[in-house]
Amino acid sequence: MTLAAGHPGFMSPTGVEIAFVLVGIATLGAALVTVTTKQLVHAALWLVVALGGFAVEYLLLTAEFIAWVQVLIYVGSVVVLLLFGLMLTKAPIGRSPDADSGNGWVALVVAVAAAATLVWVVVDAFRSTWVDLGGAAQGSAKVTGAILFRHWVLPFEALSVLLLAALVGAIVLSKRGAPARRSLLSKSEALPMRGVPSERKARES
Amino acid sequence: MHLAYPAVLAVLLFCVGLYGVLARRNAILVLMSVELMLNAVNLNLVAFDVWLRDTLHAGQALTLFTITVAAAEIGIGLAIVLLVYRNRGTSDVDKLTDLADTGTLPDSGSASIAPATDNPADTAAEQALRAREQTA
Amino acid sequence: MTGTIHSLWTTAADSATPLDKIPTPKIEYAQLSPVLIVFGAAVLGILVEALLPRRSRYIAQLGVSVTGLAAAFAAIVALAADGYASAKSHIAAMGAVAVDGPALFLQGTIVLVALVAAFTFAERRLDPLAHGRRVDSFAAQGSTVPGSEQEKRAVRAGFTTTEVFPLLLFAVGGMMIFPAANDLLTLFVSLEVFSLPLYLLCALARRHRLLSQEAAVKYFLLGAFSSAILLFGVALLYGYAGTISYGGIADVISGTAKMTPALANTTANDSLLLIGGAMVVVGLLFKVAAVPFHMWTPDVYQGAPTPVTGFMAAATKVAAFGALLRLLYVVLPGIRWDWRPVMWGVAIATMVIGAIIAVTQTDVKRLLAYSSIAHAGFILAGVIALSPDGVSSVLFYLAAYSFVTLGAFAVVTLVRDAGGEATHLSRWAGLGRRSPLVAAVFAVFLLAFAGIPLTSGFAGKFAVFKAAAQGGAVPLVIIGVISSAIAAFFYIRVIVLMFFSEPQPGGPSVAVPSALTSTAIAAGVAVTLALGVAPQYFLDLAGKASVFVR
Repeated sequence: MTLAAGHPGFMSPTGVEIAFVLVGIATLGAALVTVTTKQLVHAALWLVVALGGFAVEYLLLTAEFIAWVQVLIYVGSVVVLLLFGLMLTKAPIGRSPDADSGNGWVALVVAVAAAATLVWVVVDAFRSTWVDLGGAAQGSAKVTGAILFRHWVLPFEALSVLLLAALVGAIVLSKRGAPARRSLLSKSEALPMRGVPSERKARES
Repeated sequence: MHLAYPAVLAVLLFCVGLYGVLARRNAILVLMSVELMLNAVNLNLVAFDVWLRDTLHAGQALTLFTITVAAAEIGIGLAIVLLVYRNRGTSDVDKLTDLADTGTLPDSGSASIAPATDNPADTAAEQALRAREQTA
Repeated sequence: MTGTIHSLWTTAADSATPLDKIPTPKIEYAQLSPVLIVFGAAVLGILVEALLPRRSRYIAQLGVSVTGLAAAFAAIVALAADGYASAKSHIAAMGAVAVDGPALFLQGTIVLVALVAAFTFAERRLDPLAHGRRVDSFAAQGSTVPGSEQEKRAVRAGFTTTEVFPLLLFAVGGMMIFPAANDLLTLFVSLEVFSLPLYLLCALARRHRLLSQEAAVKYFLLGAFSSAILLFGVALLYGYAGTISYGGIADVISGTAKMTPALANTTANDSLLLIGGAMVVVGLLFKVAAVPFHMWTPDVYQGAPTPVTGFMAAATKVAAFGALLRLLYVVLPGIRWDWRPVMWGVAIATMVIGAIIAVTQTDVKRLLAYSSIAHAGFILAGVIALSPDGVSSVLFYLAAYSFVTLGAFAVVTLVRDAGGEATHLSRWAGLGRRSPLVAAVFAVFLLAFAGIPLTSGFAGKFAVFKAAAQGGAVPLVIIGVISSAIAAFFYIRVIVLMFFSEPQPGGPSVAVPSALTSTAIAAGVAVTLALGVAPQYFLDLAGKASVFVR
């Protein structure tokens, strides 16, 4: 809210700013390791660090509800899902040669160019903008809930439909059939995850 | 706090995610990079929301929506990736090249006159697999 | 600063306005009824899936879908007749969606397209009987490995994926909100609501399952990537304007908004607006498959089950162009001098590259995919006109194009051999001699794609190019006509191949469809000819529906 004049400059940072920058550096570092490490499981674990860092940043910005949602949903479920995914695709525990594709340099050039452009844009726009963190927290559960169920109620309902569709879809894609239970089974068929490689091997030979 | 700090941090994290999406081959790693990009956006939105003291809290509402959508997206994405892994034994995006402009397609030309079997779907799938193994 | 930290944990006590009760939001249920009916039918479909025995699900699902879509269309017509398309058009549901002419017109188109697509989804006579049962184009069970013992068992047990109908309806509901969305949040959520079911539907083909799943992975990864880009653009626009409602952002751009001190130093900053707007538009251009964001299109169109491809090609394009129109006409007209040159470039690249690459294709589905890219370019030419004529011509073009596309893909499902659909072009040689009717119908669709007079394609192209020329884009029109000519070349080539070359020995046969696909194809032909012979009524209708509400 405050105009450019009434706040400390970049040279005399406040305590919150120092905390924010330090956590930010840690988050950025963890993110960098996530996208560069050759060990797939490590990537997922560093992602936990990065996502946790985001949660701390939200707390520092006084958006507490979002911080806890971040911890619950991202750190609690999304990363666990990703780890499950890595396990189920039999990701090697050690270094994995096929983590990166050959176009790493192109990707690097694109990313650096995008970063340079966007950093210039936001620095140019927000050079002298000051966020006033005093007063009532901007993101308490009460405030968020009130605004969500009043103003954003239609998208909220649309989102519930999205979750239903995703649920149904995930079931459709991964449900294994009932007839297996009814008919007599051989062992490999009863254990689908073990049965698959053998089927594959049979086809390859 | 200077708005520049969260804004620049968000941009840098977004571009780290961008690098990951472009450079990674494993589909699950690509998904992780997309998550990083979405999180960077969220940081931006929350910072703007707090700065603006927006009475509608559009930024925070959108952040919550993004988190939810990302969770749903991860669920669907993993279901699809696991399906592909189960059928092909790989979750490597670069190896998914059956659909492309160049080269003969598995169902092209003479190959499509397949022997009739119990379930014709099998032949098609097997042809695709065979064609892929030949090229590999 | 200690006070700041402290306030993190003590919000309840010093909250400025006590929020004991949340006031009830004002929702205009009647005006939202088309979308609500579709979502209601989808939920009903899930209940059918959960409660009915397996045998009766197929009929029940088809009934629920068709009834729901028909009721939604009736609701749209009733709303339009009630004047919501013109005089009474306004913003509904706490600013989330607009109820106006373009929204109702596009919703009507999407619902009709979905209705016809539901028929092609339900077709069960094309594949040979599997264990004495009729089967549709979708996998007996999505999770089974193709060719495995388990899949054979699933087929034998008569499993079918009837969940595709609720998924279709979810996608349709999202697509109906998408062009009506009146803030960036609703835009993003509806984008995801229609995208996720489409990713899933792509992976469920009965034949060529591996290709189908590959298409789903590609579509999903690129879709997630593009929505991340769109979202970052949304964030930048929010930082620029301090609001995400379309009208609010437009006010800030035009300088008529109430200036808050927090915004005073960023609203003067155009680069934020330009980059943010560009990223949102890029996210939408991904969905309409404009060059250079088209790479997913041929792969996904080829790999997805053909009924899904037809639906996706038609309805996604309608929804995404609707959203693009609203964004460019309601939010960003204030910076048109900045985006118009860029969109010129995109339109030209899309038309030319789509048409040229299509010439080299040897697969019918890929050919139609590249042709859809070229058509996206033609439609963009109308979008750029930035006039009421531009809107009405785009609306007309979308309606015409979507039915031609649906019909064409429905014909593709008919030409089959032992491996399923025979999509390689060489297999189509001499089709006109063996089954003149199917070949003739396909020729009608190709002529409409090419824009030959007396088909809807000609009327559409004429309207779009006229609007573009009046908007001062004469060079664009010239390039458009040239690439139409290139495109016409390969459409005609396919017709020549079908009618004037010798049939291959052992070539594909043409399956005799049930009434379902026949209805779909007949609807495609009827709309193509009706819009081609008497376009004026529909042009007037689109013209009446061409004013956006703000």
